[in-house]
Amino acid sequence: MSIIDLTSMGEPQTDLKKELNDRLTKLQDEISDYCFQCAKCTSGCEAHKLLELEPHKIVALLKRGLINELVNSDVIWTCMTCLKCRERCPQRVAPVEILFALKNIAVASGKQIPGKYTGMLQSILSMGLIQDIQQTTTRTNKTLKRDELGLPPLSKPIDVAKFQAGIMKIAMEKV
Amino acid sequence: MKKKYALFPGCLMPTEQYAYELSIRETIPLLGVELVDVEGFSCCGEPMKSVNQLLTLYLSARNLAIAEKHHLDVFAPCAMCHLALTECQHILEENSAMKGRINSTLAAEGLQYTVKRQVVHTVDLLYDQVGIEKIKEHVKKPLNGLRIAAHYGCHILRPSEIGRPDDSENPQKIETILKALGVEPVGYPQKLDCCGAPLLANLPESALTKTGQKLQAIQEQGIQAMVDVCPWCHKMFDSRQTKAGETVAAKLDVPVLYLTQLLGIAMGITGEKLGLELNLSPVEKLQLGDVK
Repeated sequence: MSIIDLTSMGEPQTDLKKELNDRLTKLQDEISDYCFQCAKCTSGCEAHKLLELEPHKIVALLKRGLINELVNSDVIWTCMTCLKCRERCPQRVAPVEILFALKNIAVASGKQIPGKYTGMLQSILSMGLIQDIQQTTTRTNKTLKRDELGLPPLSKPIDVAKFQAGIMKIAMEKV
Repeated sequence: MKKKYALFPGCLMPTEQYAYELSIRETIPLLGVELVDVEGFSCCGEPMKSVNQLLTLYLSARNLAIAEKHHLDVFAPCAMCHLALTECQHILEENSAMKGRINSTLAAEGLQYTVKRQVVHTVDLLYDQVGIEKIKEHVKKPLNGLRIAAHYGCHILRPSEIGRPDDSENPQKIETILKALGVEPVGYPQKLDCCGAPLLANLPESALTKTGQKLQAIQEQGIQAMVDVCPWCHKMFDSRQTKAGETVAAKLDVPVLYLTQLLGIAMGITGEKLGLELNLSPVEKLQLGDVK
């Protein structure tokens, strides 16, 4: 078992991809229809100011069925998940949720996962957390670790095999 | 009755943001709240939401089920963890088919999600559970004259429809807590701006630019320091402040503390116990007791 099983186009992924596509179709049919392009989402978007993400355009493209174009675009990975678009939408469209669905589909279709997500996922699979205990530095350049500060042992999954089995089951089983 | 919570540490606080954990363990129990360490927790799942939302839901449900097994409510000091756990409860309470599916997998680890238990964050734990009056009773060294900006963090404010610790557009609980410590909280236009941390995984330069812009605004307004309540926000504003300054071509020197560190100082606890030597921003500028 590896991260490849979780993210590649391997056979077991068919069901996951179908589920994700159903989710997006639902968003497309039922939710994006409510959007009347007021662009309140974009005016408050944290990623718009810096990376030119325009959530109202994402919704408009989804409404027009341009799912492949969206899934293959880098712009879906610029969302900072500040959730302001979801909070302020007068029509409860939640562009942030559409972006999550698009990113999930990008991953499930075997598109390369950007940045450190792969490493974090591998770490979760191997020990339960996105990273293990790190050494930290004080302002006076002393290096310290968790136990040297008198903190109790780290809480993490005890039976890692069982923990992994649960993750694989949930991520790949039929709906 | 004494309030009791499972301390849900998440990933970032117990593996590198030790100052948050130290200051929580020093202050919260003195305010009449018992914190219980529970074995077997994992990541809350929130960092994996872009990769697989179902995985996020499963990990959150698993952690809630562990707390349930111990008959405990949950204290999640990380804003990301708090959102993941609350959202998971919201989804499972409304979608019984999903709940059944998650539970059938959890059964292999001897776990089940059945009851919606209370999930609190540092802000509502202090403001709503402990209460301002009780905090005031414990203040031994009021921090009079300090002018400080509060940074809440997006994930404890939104989406309000699932219930968040404070108001999504005009949060005031941290400011009220700061006043109880003698601090003068300062409002600023950038208060709701994101710290940038969610982009750290794939666009680290942009993430740091967000951080730098907010800190620069605070510095230019002559505000003395900032407090935050999330290990991700703190990693950006404190641990990476120098780097963030480089992205906006500014020399930043804004002291950044966890709210629980400042609370501890006002309660008369030493800087060492509160992990103040671990803050990489210039907290010594504030001349708080023994802090060098």
